[in-house]
Amino acid sequence: MASPCEVIIQTTDKALALIIGNRVTKEVWRIEDKYNRYNQDSLCTLINNNAGKPIAIDEETYQLLVFADQCYQLSDGLFDISSGVLRKVWRFQGRNEHYAKFPSQTSINTVLPYVGWHKIHFDRQQITLARGMEIDFGGIGKEYAVDRSIILAKQLTEQPVLVNLGGDLAVSGPRYNNETWQVAIEHPDVDSHINQNADMIISLKSGALATSGDAKRFLIKDNIRYGHILNAKTGWPIANAPRSITAVAPQCIQAGILATLALLQGSNAEQFLTEQEIKFWSRR
Amino acid sequence: MKNITEKPNIKAVLTIAAATLLGTNSLAHAESNTFETEPDEWKFDTAILYYSEADRVSAGEAIFNAQKTFDTEEILNLKLTIDTLTGASANGAVAQPTVQTFTRPSGNGQYQIAPAETPLDDTFRDTRVQLNAQWTQPIAPDYTASGGLHLSKEYDYLSLGINGNIAVDFDRKNSTFSAGFSYFKDTFSPEGGLPQAFSSMLIGDSNADSWDDDFSATRIGSEDDKTTVDILLGFTQVINRRMLMQFNYSYSTVDGYLTDPFKVLSVVNNNGEAQDYIYESRPDSRVKQSVFAQSLYHFDTTVLDVSYRYMWDDWKIKSHTIDSRFRIPLGDSFGKESYLQPHFRFYQQSAADFYQPFLIDNESIPAFASADYRIGEMTAYTVGLKYGMLVNNGHELSFRIEYYSQRPTDAGFDEIGVLKSVDLYPSVDAVIAQVTYSF
Repeated sequence: MASPCEVIIQTTDKALALIIGNRVTKEVWRIEDKYNRYNQDSLCTLINNNAGKPIAIDEETYQLLVFADQCYQLSDGLFDISSGVLRKVWRFQGRNEHYAKFPSQTSINTVLPYVGWHKIHFDRQQITLARGMEIDFGGIGKEYAVDRSIILAKQLTEQPVLVNLGGDLAVSGPRYNNETWQVAIEHPDVDSHINQNADMIISLKSGALATSGDAKRFLIKDNIRYGHILNAKTGWPIANAPRSITAVAPQCIQAGILATLALLQGSNAEQFLTEQEIKFWSRR
Repeated sequence: MKNITEKPNIKAVLTIAAATLLGTNSLAHAESNTFETEPDEWKFDTAILYYSEADRVSAGEAIFNAQKTFDTEEILNLKLTIDTLTGASANGAVAQPTVQTFTRPSGNGQYQIAPAETPLDDTFRDTRVQLNAQWTQPIAPDYTASGGLHLSKEYDYLSLGINGNIAVDFDRKNSTFSAGFSYFKDTFSPEGGLPQAFSSMLIGDSNADSWDDDFSATRIGSEDDKTTVDILLGFTQVINRRMLMQFNYSYSTVDGYLTDPFKVLSVVNNNGEAQDYIYESRPDSRVKQSVFAQSLYHFDTTVLDVSYRYMWDDWKIKSHTIDSRFRIPLGDSFGKESYLQPHFRFYQQSAADFYQPFLIDNESIPAFASADYRIGEMTAYTVGLKYGMLVNNGHELSFRIEYYSQRPTDAGFDEIGVLKSVDLYPSVDAVIAQVTYSF
């Protein structure tokens, strides 16, 4: 997952904590191994390497694709799990290289034909990508793993559990005595010494929160700041989007997708979430 | 580019999509719903209550409450209560050193009471069905209105009522003022009809040919009614983040048939021996007022709820009620989010000005008289304990057990002759058990 992950269990039972920790770790690795596109043995890689041919899928993959399809429909095509090929031309690096890596429109145009969820066919048994296309579960996989972990933890115990996979997290319920979990969200300017202590504390009794956006990965051109969220239709990053959005929802996967859909609205991100009556925090 | 914000129900679509993906398909059981309200969901409460007085009345009660909150914040509440009552109730006559014979209120048959026993009529058997519907909705910012209907039916009793209430929030919702009224019309049609006030209970051979005519001579009709108008003013104030106070004032007028047709008074001679039993008589109106103060205090984990009520009426009954509950969370050690809640209630009332434990032969009969212990001087207390916890899917299950003790006291009446040797003010002890399940 390439980010710190943790399971917090409020219990005095060490053995139980160990069991839950192991079970959650196993589940997270299972999802990682199955859907990480960088893992050469993953199902995702198998699908991508065989674009043009039907690849058999299981029920879990089918359900994830259905979910991705609904996000595509809801966002009117802005959110597209086939947009990952655009990263071949967009390289978002650290802050010293902000101005260096803008691709030409020509090079964007060469990869755009390989983006488009509507060109992908899938059913309960198989998926077929058009040649040259790739899919990427990066936008939903981690959040899905959080939700799965909570489900498993709840099957094992009634003790309060929090699962945090690199900042996307969910809780099984309130802590003892109906107390809230205090969750700190890292301030975007983590490199700046001025705001070092400006973490935000969020109280969570149930449900999940997820953050979309990355404060450190962006490009600046003509004084416009481009985050690393790409518009699948134009091939360009969304302009004027907040650096990141943290959203709260009953399930982590909902929170994550809501945050991403909001970022895709650019300057209207906050308005979008406000209209949907979602609790969120935005950083600009 | 079409603007995504034109689609208003993204949240709802995603909720369903996520639930499908995660196999938590039934949205009603989505365990962790952090969206602020749960509109369009019904919430149900069910309760079974058992009340038993030692040697007297037993009652069983089933309550079914359904509440639906709409997304526009209207609330519909429907409540069905069914209770059954069986057992014996004091008929008002005093105990005697000899066997006493009484006629049942219906006129069908008689019953005998052993020496020194408090006369109880054991024919109480009734089932009551009660329906309440209440609609609450915001009518303007900070204004909430509510209206309701009430229907209660027993074999010999029908009660119909309407109510309305308006509440205004101010000071950033830290204060609420409310005003309400209710109107009830009750019709009483006991089997055997309504007795003539102060007429003698007919006692003799109920199989005799003249019995029915003689009995109906003591009756004034088959039914009568009463109307009740209540006005309630309330004020709730948030004192700080730990404390809440509430103050109420209520004014209630009742007009009509307020007598209990099942109650009699013993007429005794100078030696305290019963010569006659005459049906009681009460005024046909009553004006009651009360003031009430309640305070809720939230300690770090526990919650203390204390209230006091002072009631007075033009029958000269005055009462004080102190009620307190203390909620102690037990964490998850004895069931998920379990808690214990001890309850203590103290009640003290003075007698109505026409209350008489008995009448003395050859003395003039007052305008009104009743020996009903419920309007006599008494002290009562309740101690109880409630235990609740969350079960599957966050549903709440709770158990309550209480002990109730009612101790009528002498309001200064001389005990004469044989009455000195019997208990004129028998106490009543009762046990209340309740199981509640909310889902």
